[in-house]
Amino acid sequence: MNYTVRDSTPGDCKDIMRLIVDLAEYEKMPNEVKLSHKELEADGFSSNPFFKCLVAEVPEEFKSKEGHTIVGYGFYFFTYCTWKGRVVYLEDLYVMPEFRGKGIGKALMSRIAQIGRAQGCVRMQFTVLDWNKPSLDFYSSQGALNLTAAEGWQLLRFEGEALEKLAQSAN
Amino acid sequence: MANFILRKAEPKDVSDILRLIKELAKYEEMEDQVILTEKELLEDGFGEHPFYHCVVAEVPKEHQSREGHTVVGFAMYYFTYDPWIGKLLYLEDFYVMKEYRGYGMGSEILKKLSHTAVKTRCSSMHFIVAEWNKPSIEFYKRRGASDLSSEEGWRLFKIDKQYLVKMSSEE
Repeated sequence: MNYTVRDSTPGDCKDIMRLIVDLAEYEKMPNEVKLSHKELEADGFSSNPFFKCLVAEVPEEFKSKEGHTIVGYGFYFFTYCTWKGRVVYLEDLYVMPEFRGKGIGKALMSRIAQIGRAQGCVRMQFTVLDWNKPSLDFYSSQGALNLTAAEGWQLLRFEGEALEKLAQSAN
Repeated sequence: MANFILRKAEPKDVSDILRLIKELAKYEEMEDQVILTEKELLEDGFGEHPFYHCVVAEVPKEHQSREGHTVVGFAMYYFTYDPWIGKLLYLEDFYVMKEYRGYGMGSEILKKLSHTAVKTRCSSMHFIVAEWNKPSIEFYKRRGASDLSSEEGWRLFKIDKQYLVKMSSEE
């Protein structure tokens, strides 16, 4: 079964949103998705995009049970490491269960690695949930290193009320 | 000594920024990892499409450091994207020189950034902290930060250049 990996277009946002929700369900946090496909479109396809997204597409004859031809996506943006420079950050990588085992995940990731290298990126960074063994195994096989385990990095955030409170106390 | 100003970094600040990056890396016991140069910092932060934004803390000449520096603190950040909630402000580095701590500079920098986050409609401010860095973890938790590694199990990963090259050459 053949597939193509290509840059997404504004018209893909409904499909991307569908896959984002699928992935959130897999990560056991479906209620956390607050974004709409319209916001995704505005934030990703303006003159100053906040992210880039690749999609994996299959021909009509291989469409999914529900009739979808966009079956996977790789969501990324560029960040910065003060020690080494430009970094490509892989925010989401997902392939629908019925299309796994065909190299689509690897193809999406490879293409993003290629794009990162073309932009002078020194590494790719991403987070994985500690119980997600299939993904942990896949990334290890590609040469990924768990920095939380190896160097003790913890991911923190300020959001909602805590962020507002902190902002309001600024001069 | 209590007066200082916070301002947007300018191209002329890159040598001070690099100096402070190296000091922070030393504190994190990883100073030999800093290979970034002033030239790259200049290109990446002050070119057409900046990879990062930077705020510096500056004291008047009469309060310059032992080595004669007036730029005594900095914070580097960029915008990232969470497909569930949209734009985020990512705090990459945040540091105040030892002799200038205890005057509220760190607090003011954090407040300024959270104000920027809210102003630019970011839902959250994210950052990582080394798990052994108890003073910093306490500083952030006192202000309402939550530790996503503990609470949700997120683990930070990286894939270094040699593996990116390998991945991008395999199709």
